[in-house]
Amino acid sequence: MAPTPWRPHGRNIECLYSWAPVARRRKACKTRSNVKILIVEDDKQIADYVAKGLREKGHVVDRADNGRDGLYLATGERYDVMIVDRMLPHMDGLSLVKAARAAAVKTPALFLTTMGGVDDRVAGLEAGADDYLVKPFVFAELLARVSALARRPPIVETTQLRVGDLEIDLLSRVVVRDGKRLDLLAQEFKILEYLMRHAGEVVTRTMLLEKVWDFHFDPKTNIVETHISRLRGKIDKGFDRPLLHTIRGAGYVIRAQE
Amino acid sequence: MSSAPRSSILTRILRSASFRLTLGYAALFVVSAVVLFGTVYLTATAAMQSDMQAVLRTEAFQLAEIHRRSGLLGLAEQITRRMNFRTRGPIYYLLQGPSRQVMVGNLPGMPPVDGVIDFVRDNDSEEPANARSKLTGFGLTLPDGSFILVAQDASRLVDMQHAIESAFAWAAGVTLFLAIGGGMLLGGNFLRRIDTIGRTSRAIMEGDLSARVPVRGTNDEIDQLVVGLNAMFDRIQHLMEGLRQVSNDIAHDLRTPLGRLRQRLEDAREHATTTAEYAAAADGAIVEADVLLETFSALLRIAQIEAGAQKSGFADLDLSALAQSVGEAYQPAAEDSQHRLVLDIAGGVALHGDRQLLAQMLSNLVENALHHTPAGSTVSLTVGYTATGEPQIVVADNGPGIPAAERERVFGRFYRLDSSRTTAGSGLGLALVKAIATLHGLSIRLEDNAPGLRIVLSR
Repeated sequence: MAPTPWRPHGRNIECLYSWAPVARRRKACKTRSNVKILIVEDDKQIADYVAKGLREKGHVVDRADNGRDGLYLATGERYDVMIVDRMLPHMDGLSLVKAARAAAVKTPALFLTTMGGVDDRVAGLEAGADDYLVKPFVFAELLARVSALARRPPIVETTQLRVGDLEIDLLSRVVVRDGKRLDLLAQEFKILEYLMRHAGEVVTRTMLLEKVWDFHFDPKTNIVETHISRLRGKIDKGFDRPLLHTIRGAGYVIRAQE
Repeated sequence: MSSAPRSSILTRILRSASFRLTLGYAALFVVSAVVLFGTVYLTATAAMQSDMQAVLRTEAFQLAEIHRRSGLLGLAEQITRRMNFRTRGPIYYLLQGPSRQVMVGNLPGMPPVDGVIDFVRDNDSEEPANARSKLTGFGLTLPDGSFILVAQDASRLVDMQHAIESAFAWAAGVTLFLAIGGGMLLGGNFLRRIDTIGRTSRAIMEGDLSARVPVRGTNDEIDQLVVGLNAMFDRIQHLMEGLRQVSNDIAHDLRTPLGRLRQRLEDAREHATTTAEYAAAADGAIVEADVLLETFSALLRIAQIEAGAQKSGFADLDLSALAQSVGEAYQPAAEDSQHRLVLDIAGGVALHGDRQLLAQMLSNLVENALHHTPAGSTVSLTVGYTATGEPQIVVADNGPGIPAAERERVFGRFYRLDSSRTTAGSGLGLALVKAIATLHGLSIRLEDNAPGLRIVLSR
């Protein structure tokens, strides 16, 4: 066993610094321990609920119940993700994120808010937030999004993604599993690409709707399910071990080992 | 407004914009008339004066010629003759000898002056009306020292000047009178129409939302203003009715599931004994709450869209690409429910709008068609142009269709055909479609696809 590496902010050192080879860095990033999260929310009940859920998943949670304290923490400490309500006492969420960005705090931010209009979402993202979730929400959705933000893919742009024996080439749009070439439709390829960029992470139905189709509403038809089932038929059918898994009540994950 | 003291109609007319405008124009007219009059006056006077002077000069030089030929006595004789026979207007003569004694003439003696002279003559008593008349004369000193003066009555000039002056005075007076009278008439007319607008808006503020300002049909500026105002009143009425409708809908359609939710929880509280039973009750409650939330957010969204609050997200977008993407998203789901979803999308159809809302609108239309047609039906999504070159979206199916009498009502909130009351859905899908279409200036027509329904959206 190698000695335990130094872990700033819960990350392996190889994950943070680019001198490590790409493969090792990715492994290090995946195996890091807990994620440090800041919750700025004035509704105590929601804050309790979110904090409890995140702690159960092994994350470290700090809380602030107003915008001013939230900004103080966000600029003073290092967090992996901050979850910010939009309507807060003393300083609203938009101003908080803007101020934090102005102070060069690059911590990914997620707005958790009741303001669900299209304009509100755009305003939130323009203020410098990275994601937007409208209350009321399902905890699994929040967890998936927080995890996705905490593990932002490395800046290094790759043209090939691989999970187990499944490999896709983003330029030629060729999908190969176990040496066998698979034919995917354009939308299936987009879904697979997104899942593989977040290999090992839970991707929710809503995240797929947003990222693949750019739909920010909830269709009544199971369009995601039907696409996933088509995709599964192409990439998993006829192979020993399935790669695409459904996480009940949460979403989907693509990963090599069960 | 209504509490303000009603000032007398006259002062209101005098203060009205159209009266002031008319008055302003009248003043402008008077100024321009003064300029015109002045020019005419001066030009006419100068022309007449020089004409008179030319006549007098000619006469004087003719007399000088006679003096040269026939001497002083001949000249005196000639002048006497001319004084007696002159018929063409009165010409006055004076002949003074070299020693300044008046030899002949009907003018008093005077010191000799050469050239044009204006002077006043005390008339003979036979014409008491104009005892003093203005004369214009031409004097000429002859070589022997005698002096002749030929003069003409300047009253013709004065008469003409008087004629011009009085013509001007009449014209200006009548014009001013017409301007003021017309201005009052126009102002009163204008005020009456303004009053109608004021009365109507007060009536609307007091609650009569159906009040409208009558349009005259002359298509003048006020008519155009009135048409605009009426359109605004329509919008206000529509919004108010929407608000009332939403509250009714909420009372109606949210109360039922809320009641069900409460019933379930109460039931669990009373009868559930095992954890499994509690879990089942909690699951049921969550499902019920989700339905409620969904209905609620759909209502909010419709209200938000109908208020036109999302126009800020408008941009030029590729409707074809959007429809293609929506169509492809529904393709597998359509196949799973044994429907044929046919996409017939012309390339490059552009529309100015909100991408998210349009995507939702197309989704709802396709979903609606898939939902309300039996397995084996064909649903088509067509994007193209109308005959006039406007973008057009058509969603057609060959299912059971909607009876003609029901077609108008399907876009209302919570509307569901009796046949679909039992199937899932909030009944808000088409209301949302309508709201989004209206926001984008698209009108919706429901047509018979024989068999089936054809929904056409176009400008």
